[in-house]
Amino acid sequence: MIDEHHEELASLYVFDLLEGAELAQFEQALARDPALRALVATLRETAAAVAHTAPTVQPPASLKHRVLASIEALEQSTAAPDNVIRPSPTVFRMGQLIPWTAAAGLALCSVWLGSRYLATRVESDLLRKEQKLTELTLTSSRQQLEAERIIAGRQLQEAQKQIASTGKQLETTLAQVTAQDQLLAEARAQTTERDRLVAEARTQLTTREREIATLTQRIDIFTGATEEIGRKLGEAQQQVALLTSELKSQGDLADFKITALASLLKNSPQALAVAVWDPSKQEGVLKVEKLPALLANQDYQLWIVDPQYLNPVDGGVFTVDPTTGERRMKFKAKQPVGAVNAFAVTLERKGGVPKAEGPFVLLGK
Amino acid sequence: MTPPASTGSLPPDERQQIDARLLQRVAQGDKLAFGELYDRFSGPLLGAAQQILRDSAEAQDVVHDAFVTLWEKAATFEVSRGSAFSWVVTLVRNRAIDRVRMRRRRAEILAESLPADLGYADAATESAGSESAALGDDARAVRAAVATLPVEQKRALELAFFGGLTQEEIARKLSEPLGTVKARIRRGLLKLRESLSLRP
Repeated sequence: MIDEHHEELASLYVFDLLEGAELAQFEQALARDPALRALVATLRETAAAVAHTAPTVQPPASLKHRVLASIEALEQSTAAPDNVIRPSPTVFRMGQLIPWTAAAGLALCSVWLGSRYLATRVESDLLRKEQKLTELTLTSSRQQLEAERIIAGRQLQEAQKQIASTGKQLETTLAQVTAQDQLLAEARAQTTERDRLVAEARTQLTTREREIATLTQRIDIFTGATEEIGRKLGEAQQQVALLTSELKSQGDLADFKITALASLLKNSPQALAVAVWDPSKQEGVLKVEKLPALLANQDYQLWIVDPQYLNPVDGGVFTVDPTTGERRMKFKAKQPVGAVNAFAVTLERKGGVPKAEGPFVLLGK
Repeated sequence: MTPPASTGSLPPDERQQIDARLLQRVAQGDKLAFGELYDRFSGPLLGAAQQILRDSAEAQDVVHDAFVTLWEKAATFEVSRGSAFSWVVTLVRNRAIDRVRMRRRRAEILAESLPADLGYADAATESAGSESAALGDDARAVRAAVATLPVEQKRALELAFFGGLTQEEIARKLSEPLGTVKARIRRGLLKLRESLSLRP
């Protein structure tokens, strides 16, 4: 029983597809195994049968003539030495010798000429064969040259492709380098900008620290000012009480509107005022202290906030003592006042305005 | 496995015996027997040589040389080793493949100049049709048997016989693993043998 492996080797063997050690091992097995030899014989027959699958070709008559001429030439070249006729050892009498000698001479000449003819023919055949061999060698050399030309052409094309490819890669690399240079320049610019921003931030930080220190000082000042205001307010309340007592002495104070006005000025937080309004007379008294001095073209203007009007009612303009910021005055409303919600003092242009335009200086409800 | 001349209708075994006897007579210098063998073998031999070489003149040279060798070496032929036809086919195939390999010094050229692309498949198809009337019984039987093979086995056998390639080159040509190609050659050849009733 032959296993599949040996069947496979036998199949390859009959097509001459085994090589090297595989071939040597199989031939050793073949020498040992008659069954394997029988298998190879049948497979060889089968493989030979594949020749029949090639398209049938009708051989030209010239081929048969050529083959027959070749074997004829072969036969003659091998048979020629046997055709040499050697002289017979038979002894003749002298009378008979001359014609026999002549005949023998002619025969020898004929044989010699015949052998020369055959030799020449053989040589001619050999020369023809050599010529064919030379032609075959020439054809082979041409084919080899053509193959090498094709290969060289391909190698040249490959080299050109590689050069083109390398050129493209170089261009790409250069573009990448340029792009990286740009990125580097941008990164440097960004770094510079960041350094600048950091410096600015540090400057701002320093400034803010200074401002905080300033504000801290101001808070301290304001704290002091608040205490002063409290003190002043106490004084104002005392004045109010005094005024109240004064007014009480003049009449019924039940309907009076008495309001302390606080400063809205950052630069004069200590400014202070008290307004007393007598609705029955539609007039009042205002006393201010520590208001900032006015410019020549400025007046303070008092406003009475009455909910029945859209805008505060004008209470008149006034100035203060430039050194003390004090003023005490009576005032009247420009419109009838029903109820007083608040009093306000604004800083206006000289002579006053019909509706408040300038900043609020004092306010009290 | 001989094409029919005057023995076309005989069974294969009998035709092989006739071939063997003719070859024995050739070994004794019988030119008539040689002429008869030439008539019986030259057609398929020239077809195979042309299929391998793709060149008519070179194919004729190869067939010529093979018959001259047959004349010179007929006495060395052993009937026990196979038929006369397979012996001469081997002579022709070896010479033709030697020439093909001489043409191609480099593997690159080998890969291009051989092949499927040269039309084995087409040739087989054509031969199965238009030329069938002119074929002998053996050729018809072989073509019919080959036609029953799976395409991949048929292709592997054709490349193995006509290609002049190594195992690895056939595998590359077919874009298949080497083991697959070996198995296809084995299965194809065994199936063909069975179809042709050539069991040992």
